[in-house]
Order: sequence, then structure tokens, then C-alpha cells
Amino acid sequence: MSTADSPLLSPELLTRLERLELVSRKIYRGQMKGERRSPRKGQSVEFADFRTYVPGDDIRFIDWNTYARLDKLFLKLFLEEEDLHFYALIDASQSMNFGDPTKLEYAKQLAAALGFIGLVRSDRVRIETLGQGAQAPGPVLRGRKSVWRMQQYLEGIEPGEPVSLHDGVRNFCLRNSGKGIVVLISDLMDKDGYESALRYLMAQQMDVYVLHVLSQEELDPELTGDLRLVDCEDADMAEITVSAPLLKRYQQTLSAFIGGANEFCSRRGMSYAMVRNQMPVDELVLNLLRRQGLVR
Amino acid sequence: MWPQMTNLLAPWQWAVLAVVPPAIVALYFLKLKRAPLEVPSTYLWRKSIEDLHVNSLWQRLRRSILLLLQLLLLLIILLALLNFSWRGESRAEQRTIYLIDNSASMQTRDVDGGQRTRLEEAKRRVADAIDTMQSGDAAMIISFSDTAQVVQQYTGNRPELRRQLKSIQPTNHSTSIIDALRLAAGLANPGRTSDDPNDLAAADAVPAELRVFSDFRFSTVSDFALGNLEPKLDLIGQEDTGNVAIVNFSTRRHEDRPDMIHTFARIQRYAQEDSEEESADDETTVRVELLLDGSLIDAAELSIKKNEFGQVEFTREDIEVGVLELRVDSKDTLALDDRAWAVINRPERRRVLFVSKGNEPIERAFSSESADKLARIELAQPEHLESEDYKKDSESGLYDLIIFDECAPQKMPPSNTLFINALPPDGRWKRGDDIADGEVQVIDTEKTHPLMKLPDLGDVDIYRAFNVERPSGGVDLIDSAAGSIFSIAPRDGYEDAVLGFSLGLFREDGELYPNTNWRNSRSFPVFWRDVLAYLGGTEARGSSSNVSPGDTYQLRGELQSGEVKIIDPAEKSSTVSRNRQNLYEFTDTQQLGVYQVWSDDQLIQLFAVNLFDRDESDNRTRPEEKVRLGLTELAVGTSWQPARRELWKWLALLGLVVLLVEWYIYNRRVYL
Repeated sequence: MSTADSPLLSPELLTRLERLELVSRKIYRGQMKGERRSPRKGQSVEFADFRTYVPGDDIRFIDWNTYARLDKLFLKLFLEEEDLHFYALIDASQSMNFGDPTKLEYAKQLAAALGFIGLVRSDRVRIETLGQGAQAPGPVLRGRKSVWRMQQYLEGIEPGEPVSLHDGVRNFCLRNSGKGIVVLISDLMDKDGYESALRYLMAQQMDVYVLHVLSQEELDPELTGDLRLVDCEDADMAEITVSAPLLKRYQQTLSAFIGGANEFCSRRGMSYAMVRNQMPVDELVLNLLRRQGLVR
Repeated sequence: MWPQMTNLLAPWQWAVLAVVPPAIVALYFLKLKRAPLEVPSTYLWRKSIEDLHVNSLWQRLRRSILLLLQLLLLLIILLALLNFSWRGESRAEQRTIYLIDNSASMQTRDVDGGQRTRLEEAKRRVADAIDTMQSGDAAMIISFSDTAQVVQQYTGNRPELRRQLKSIQPTNHSTSIIDALRLAAGLANPGRTSDDPNDLAAADAVPAELRVFSDFRFSTVSDFALGNLEPKLDLIGQEDTGNVAIVNFSTRRHEDRPDMIHTFARIQRYAQEDSEEESADDETTVRVELLLDGSLIDAAELSIKKNEFGQVEFTREDIEVGVLELRVDSKDTLALDDRAWAVINRPERRRVLFVSKGNEPIERAFSSESADKLARIELAQPEHLESEDYKKDSESGLYDLIIFDECAPQKMPPSNTLFINALPPDGRWKRGDDIADGEVQVIDTEKTHPLMKLPDLGDVDIYRAFNVERPSGGVDLIDSAAGSIFSIAPRDGYEDAVLGFSLGLFREDGELYPNTNWRNSRSFPVFWRDVLAYLGGTEARGSSSNVSPGDTYQLRGELQSGEVKIIDPAEKSSTVSRNRQNLYEFTDTQQLGVYQVWSDDQLIQLFAVNLFDRDESDNRTRPEEKVRLGLTELAVGTSWQPARRELWKWLALLGLVVLLVEWYIYNRRVYL
């Protein structure tokens, strides 16, 4: 496959990801026939119920055995298998352009991996960034053949989108009213807070996964001396003199920040996972996200 | 003690210094040049900083710890500057002369509850004083006991001063400060010269501080002017110190039985008088042990009241030769005088020449058995003094004692002499006024002198006598109402005694009368026995001959060998040669104990060196008494404070440490 050469996803990873599928904790109505159960009854092999025949019904679904015994026409209902709507929402702000690999790079890999799983299972995959305008939705991808397009799209994502988390998520919600799984990949570093943004997603009644990507530099800063820290997004400056108490205090703040996000999400039925950019993507998907129930 | 500060800096310098602390603060509040660093978000950092800011003043202080350290450093530098030159800009070089008493009483161990002896304390104080010397200061150390010794000449070399100070050793000598004062004054006062021949590097006459470290157990110094010396007296020793001391220990053979030895000891107790009622009943009991050649042979217990003495007497038979040691078991602070030694040498007959026209009572006394045991007495007429034989014999020191009865030689012989009703021809003795006939009244005899220890002159009448004016250094043995009539004085290692009245007969109105009834008294032969024993030297050799520490021991030479070997109590041997006066003189009698005299591998003599010095044994200090040095009367200081301490070096060192800490914190601040 053409995706084998992708820098985002290695062939080995792809092989392992092929066996997985995205799981939604909710059953949503799809738009096209897919591999997902749908609340709609339809054509599949999985029996759902009987109902009395009314004229106009497809006579192919009449249960003839029952008719032979009861002399009444019953219609056999099957569970409809539909596609799943999977959204990956990538925070491509300037702050994501840090770390080795950069948090954005890591977010892209993660989105690619999850998108690949979805494409393989014929789900409806849409990858978007926060910076996209309300009227400019990302491409809808479906089927294995779209892997290349997805990759193309991902590689085209550049850091430095000047949009806040709140606005980005609101725009996303405006663009995509449908149900499904949304995975927000962000560092949540927004001075206005992440809470309002996540409330939007919650209001969409989507199955929300928040993957909180933090770089090693943020988790364990190796700074010394008198520094003037410049915020890459708003050029805000913070003058610090690095000392043991300050570093300790930073760690406490960071723990409170992560813990706060985790608690916020848990209370509202969202899944939260703190992800460090050093963690290999396959390990993350195969272990952490499997435990979280996003994939199986 | 809060250090005294001296204004070293001029006002404008102070002004400059005063500007420095605000300048440091101002500089500190200037923006620190910080390295810019782009971070994903200052979100978490800001929160962290805010959290820190929330914390109180301490956080602010912690942040400005470098500022505080700098201010501290500045303060330390200021203090160092203040102390740098303690005595101001025009400070003169200071000269100090330390007089350290190393006499016997300074061995009293009563400083700090018996931790140190007085001498150790004196040395410690002087060492402290040396530590506080400043550059340009010079000090000199003189130790003194009965003589003075320059331990270290004027120098500013503190290590050398300390080294020499350490070399001062305690002595067993008595105390006399006058030599030391003269030495010190020789350097301080123009027109005087130091007594010490080594004192070539004597400094120019400059005023000097004279610091005396002593227990001040010496008599008042008169005949001395301090001149440029500024004396400061440091009393060392506790006021409540007491001591039990053997002040005398002697032996004497029994008159008739030479193998029987009588031992007498006098033990004095010195203590501070607390109150009159209390002192009356306060008795202490000490155990007195007598050892012969190291083994205990007798013991006694003695109760002594405060500042009184007790006597013990032991009588032992079958002692021919040996060393007797007396020990007092008293846990007092001065151990030197708790032991005393007496030696018993083989009695030896001495040669005595009695020159007289004839004196029957004396000859009778000499004919007694005990006198015969003591000496071989030759009788001669005064004419014999003119003969060549006499000249030869007396010049060669053949006689130990020559008794001139109402006659005198032309030249003093090299031997002890006793002149009866005559004067030695050397002019040192003077014939005082004649006492009117029949008016001679004996009022006192010197009981402590061996010659007068036993004779009792209470019922003695003397008809005619003259007043004996002895040379200095002698002792008056019999005092009459009109002056001394019997005196003894030393002469070049010999002793001359002059009896100012005749023991013979005088003629009046054609009748012969005895001049004194003493000749018929029972104490008369005793007196002559003592004369033979003491002046004849028999006592000195025959029994307990005592030498004071540092005194010269003399052995009259009748030996074949020109040399004798003397082994001191520490088993150190030294050789002594016979001198021109036919004497072996040994001066190194510093140690207390028994010395052995050997000649040709034969032990010929023992002698003991004992302290027997009441002034040294009486180690009570008297802080309330003033010490008179010449015309000046000085109070002694009891509360000694170390003088200046040079603090600035430590402050500078502390400053350096602060600097290092600051540097460390600056570089490794994550640890704070």
C-alpha cells in the first residue's frame, strides 16, 4: 500500500493497527452502510425483531417459516450495520510546535493511527484542526483507499493557527453536528482555560476522548539560571529565577493542571488521557487507548 | 567583653562607605539581565510564580538572598575595618615585659579547681597576651625565682615568644623579684644596664608595660624605682588555698648510742583565716610516715590547727647509714613540701684546732666522749699561730674548725672559725661598744640555729661583754639588751662565729673571777658539742645535712681523688672537681631529694635537698594586700581579662566564607 512509506505511520504499525477497530460507547445513527450496528433496523445477518407485515414492505424479509406455522405474515427485522463517524480534532496552535518530536507531530501520528483504524473498518473519518473556519470543514474520508488522502491532509497541517481552544472547538461543533467519536488532541494550554471548550463537545453528545499531549520539556523542565520565558503564542513574558522551590512549585502546578483536566473530563463522561510525546504511538494506541476503550 | 572600636577612617571615607549599602541595594533592584527562552506557554510558570509570590516575606527574602549576603559581607568588612587598627592611627608600638614567677609556690595546683598549677596558669595567660600582640609590638619574657633569667629578649616574633614561654620550667627556689625588676628596668630606664651579660640586644630605653604574673609570695621590694615601667600585677592562685608543709626535718644521733637516731619534723599548716571563732577549733589530721630507704618504718598522726605547726619525733635504733624520708599524707595543692629527706652518713671525726692560752672549762668539754667522737681536737698556744707549721696546715685546709680563744690569726684560714672574745682580722667584723660591767642581759637566743638550738641561757650571767657587729648575711645568735653578743656570718663558703665575751677568768681586785657562770652550766658542754658538730662540719656530714634547692653543696676535700661523681635524684650523674680551696662544690641542686656522692666507685656521702621554705610553702594568696615595688604601692589584680583580641582576621575570614557561599549559591542555587 502507498501508506507504507508514510512517515506518520510505519508499515509495522499499520499491520498491527489493521486488527483494531474503533469502538464507541454509544450507538449512533450512521449515514451509510457500514460495519457498525445502527439503531436502525436493516439488512444484516444479525436478527433484531419481528413485526407484522404491512403492505409495501419488502417481501424478501417475510419470515416464511412463521407464515407456514401461524398463517400470518411477519416481517423479520435485522440490525442495520452502519458506518461510524470518527473525528480527530488536532490543536495546531503554536504551542504544539514544541518538543522532540513536536507535540503537533505526535498529534498527527496519533490522528493518523486512529484514522487508519477507522478507514480500514469503513468508518467515516474526518480530521480537522482547531484553526479551521466554521464554514471550512475538513475532508470526509472513508475506506482504505483514503489513507493516502488522509496522510496528505495531515502533512499539510502547519503549526501556528492563531485560534483559542474555545473558538476552535466551537467552530468544530458548528461544522459537525453529527454524532460519533471525537478525539481532541491538544496540550490544553489555553490561558482562558479548556473547560468551556470541552463543554461544547459534551453538549454535542459525542463520545469525547481528550488526549492531552505534553512534551518532556513541559513535564520535567531542565532550566537553570535567571530566565525570561516568552510565550510563543501571545509573547507573554514571565521572569523567573530557577530555584528548587520554584521547580517544585511548577511540578505541583502541573500535577494540579493534569489532575484538574482528568477530573473535569471524568465527571462529564469524557475519556481523558495524558500523553507524553516520548511515548511510542503504537504503545499508546495498543495499550493505553485500548484500556480506555477507544479501540479494541 | 565588647570590643572597643576605634575610628580608623576619615569622615569622607565613612561617607564613601555609607554610600555602598544603598548602592548594593539599588544595583540589586536593577533589572537582572535574564536570558530569553521561548516556551510553549507561560501558563503553568505564571501560576507557579504567583503561588510563590503568595508566600510571605520569607519568599521575598529567599529571592533576595544574594542581596542579603552581599549586605552581610559589607557589614563584615566594615567590622573588620573598625577592628583593623585597634588603637587608632597614631598608635605607638607597645613594649611589654612579662615577669613570670617560677618559684616553688607557683607549683601549687589550685587554678580552676586543681586543673593547672599557678605556673601553668601564668604561662597560659602570657600565651593569651602574646596572641593579642599586634605587629610592631615587642615583648620580653623574664622568669624569676630567687634569681631572674631572661627567657626571651624583646621580640615581635610571636612563635618564638610562645616557644620560649613553653620552655619555662618550675623551680624549687624561693622568690625574689628584685633581680627580675632590675633586668626589666635596665631596658626601660636609661642609665641602667641589664645585669644579664647576654643582654646585648637591649632595646632603646622606651616605656614598657611590666606585667608580673605571680602569687606575690615575696617581701616588699624597696630600693627600686620603676621609672618608665608601668607595672601591672596579675595575682595567680586561689584565695582559699591551704597547704600542709614539712618545714623542718632533721636527724641527730644519740649522744651515747651512735646507732640510735632521733628524727624531728616540724609540720606547719597554712590556711586562710575565715573567722576567728571557726579557726580556733578547726583542726586537720594528717598522717606522717617515716620511710627508711624506701620502706615504711614508722608513722604517726598529727592534728594541726590552722596556721599552727605540729611536731613529730621518731627514734629508731640500728640505723648506721641510710636515707630517711618523711611523707605527709595531706591532699593539699602543693606537693613539693609534703616530702622531705634526711640522710644518715657514717659519722666522721673532724679536725679541730683550739688555740688558747688555756681554758679549762672548754678543754673539759672537749674531753668528753661525745666530743671525742665528733672531732680530733688539737690544742695549741697562741704563739703557734706564728709558726710555719700552723701556716702550712691552715693554708692547706687541714682543719675544719679553728677556735681562737682570746687571740686572732694574722690571716683568716680557709676553715670555719670561732673567735672567743676576739675579732677576725679581716675587718668585716666590728667591735661594738663595751657593755658596762655586770649589765649584760641575755634577752634572746636564736633557737632556730643549730648552735643555739639546745643551750638554755636563761640563768646565765655574763659580767663583761662587747657588742658584736657582724657583716651582712649573718645571724645574731645571742642578743643582749645592748645588742648582739654572739653572731655568725658566712665567709667564702666558711662560717665565722664571734662570741663577744670571755669564757675565762678575769682579775679584779687581785682576785680571779669567772666572766660567766655559763662555764659551770649543764648547757655548756652541749654548746661545745654543737660547735664541733656544726662548725666542725660533723653535723653537716654526719647526719641530716640539708641543702636548699639551688644552693651550693660543698664537700670538704680530704679525698685522694681529684674528682667526685654526684648522682642526683633523677639518676643523672655529674662530675665535680676539687677547687683551690680544697672543696668540691656542686651547684646543680635544683631537684628535691637525695643526692649521692661517689668517689672511686665508692659511695662516700649522701645529702638531701629539701624545700624547707616557709615563704614558699605558705601559698595563701592575699589579694587584699598591696605589693610595694620601690616607692609605688600597687594593688594586685585578681580578675584577669585577656587583653585585646584581634578579631578582624576572623571577620575577614568570615567575609571570605560568605563570599564563597554566595558564589556557590549563585552557581548552584537550585539547592536553596
